Amino acid sequence: MATGRGIVVAVAFALLGVGGRACAGPVDDLLQQFQAQGASHFTVAAGEALWERSVTDPKTGEVRRCALCHTTDLRKVGKHATTGKAIEPMAPSVNPKRLADKEKIEKWLERNCKWTLGRVCTPQEKGDALTMIGSR
Amino acid sequence: MVIVPRHARVWDAPTRTFHWALAAAFAGDWFTRDARYLDIHEFFGYAIGALVAFRYAWGLVGTRWARFASFPLSARSAWRYLVSLARGRQPHHVGHNPAGSWAIHALLAMALLEVATGVVTLGAEKGEGLLAGRFGYPVGDVAHAIHQWLAYGMLGVVALHIVGVLVGCFADRQNLIASMLTGYKPTDDAIADVDAKRGIAVAMTLALAVGALAYFRGYLPATGTQPYRPYASRALPMDAVWKTECSGCHLAYHPSLLPARSWSRMFAEQEAHFGEDLGLGGETLRHLEAFSASNAAEALESPVAWKMATTIPAASAPLRITATPYWVQRHERLDAATWERVHRLECEGCHRDADGGEFAPGAIDMELGKSAVRKGK
Repeated sequence: MATGRGIVVAVAFALLGVGGRACAGPVDDLLQQFQAQGASHFTVAAGEALWERSVTDPKTGEVRRCALCHTTDLRKVGKHATTGKAIEPMAPSVNPKRLADKEKIEKWLERNCKWTLGRVCTPQEKGDALTMIGSR
Repeated sequence: MVIVPRHARVWDAPTRTFHWALAAAFAGDWFTRDARYLDIHEFFGYAIGALVAFRYAWGLVGTRWARFASFPLSARSAWRYLVSLARGRQPHHVGHNPAGSWAIHALLAMALLEVATGVVTLGAEKGEGLLAGRFGYPVGDVAHAIHQWLAYGMLGVVALHIVGVLVGCFADRQNLIASMLTGYKPTDDAIADVDAKRGIAVAMTLALAVGALAYFRGYLPATGTQPYRPYASRALPMDAVWKTECSGCHLAYHPSLLPARSWSRMFAEQEAHFGEDLGLGGETLRHLEAFSASNAAEALESPVAWKMATTIPAASAPLRITATPYWVQRHERLDAATWERVHRLECEGCHRDADGGEFAPGAIDMELGKSAVRKGK
C-alpha cells in the first residue's frame, strides 16, 4: 500500500514537477516533512505503541493516553476527557474527513501531544501516529 | 335557581364575568410568572388589560351597582364603615361597601399599571409585544422591577379583598361569593333587579375564547420533536472560525456570555485553558480576539448579554460562565441530574438555543429543565 502510494507520488513528480506535491495528500506531505526533520522509517506498530502509552500528568495526577479520548478502536466515537464532547472516529475508513486537512492535523498533533504527553511530539512520533491512524 | 322574595339582581352578568375572568387571569399570570411560560403569561396579561378596559367603560355605562357613581372613593365613608363594622353596627350596602370600593379601584389601577409595565418589559427585554424595540434594557429593568413588586402588592390587595368579603359574609350573614356568581343579593329594601345584560357577558366570553385560540394556535401542530417556539429566536452574530476553533472541544459558547475583559484574559491565558494549551497564534488568534471583543456581553446582543454585562463585578474577569453571578442565580435549583449535565458542559441538554447563544427562556426544554431554573423573574 505504502509502496503503491510512493509510485503514485513519483509519477506525479515526474509529470507535474514540484506542483504535483498537492496531489500527494496532506499525510504524505507531512511524513516527508517529518523525515526532513530527522525522522526515520514510520511504522504502524510504533504508532500503536504511542497510542497506548500512559503518561501521568504531574499537575493533576491524571493518567493520560491517546485512547482515553479517542478509544482504542479508532473506528469508534470517542469522548473528550474534560468536556465529554463526542469525538468523531479517528479512522479515515469510517470518517473520511480525518487526515484530509494539513493545518488541522498539525494543530491537533501539537495540542494533543502537549496535553497527553506533557510535551510536543518528536517528528518520529508524529509520523508513526499518522501512519497508524492512516492504516485504520 | 329559585329566587326567594326580597332577593334582587344586583350584579349584572358582564360584571360577574369580568370579576371571575379577572381572578382567573390574575391567578394564571401568577403561576406563569416563570420566564419559561412567558407566552402564556403574556396572554393572561393582555386578557387582564382587555378586562380592565372593559370594566372602566362598564363603570360609566353599566347597570346601577356596577357604575363607579354607586361606589365613590371616599376615605371618610370607608373609615366610618370600618368603625361601624368593628362595633357590629355596620349599615347594609346593596352594592359595594365604602371599604370595598377602595379595593376595587386599587385593583383596577394596579392591574392597568401591571399590564403597562409588563408590555414595556416585554418590549425592552425581549423585543416582543406591542412596544417591541421601543425601550432599551435599562428601562426594561425598571419596568420589570415595578412589574414584580406591583404583583406582590396586588396579591396583598386581593388578600384584603378576600378577607373583606369573608368579614362581610359573617357580619351581614349573607353569601357574598354566591352573589357574585348568581348576581342576586338579599335585600330588605325595595330594590329593582338590574338588567342581566347576558348578551354582553356571552360576547366577552366568546372574545376571550377566540383570543386564546388565535394566540395559542401555534401549539396545535407542535410535536415532541418539533416543539412550538412562541418567540422567534434572535440570530446573534456567529463566526465560522470561532465556531470551528471552540467547538473542537466544547460548545462554541457565544462571546456575549462573558464581558470583553474575560475574553482578553481567556486568550492571554490560552496556554492553560482549563488544563489545555491551545497554541493559538497568528491570524486565527487575532480573528478570535476581534470577534470576541466586538460581540462580548457589552455589545448587548441579547437579554442574557445585558444581564452578564451588568451583574459581573467590574474588578473580576471570570473565565467560567458557570462562575458568573447571573448564571448562579438562574440555576439555583439544579437537581443532581442536571448538575451532572452542567459538569459535562451540556448547555444544549436543556437550552435548545445554546448553539446560537441567545439562551431564551422559551427555548428551555420543559422536561429536562423542569427543576433547573429559579422560579420567578
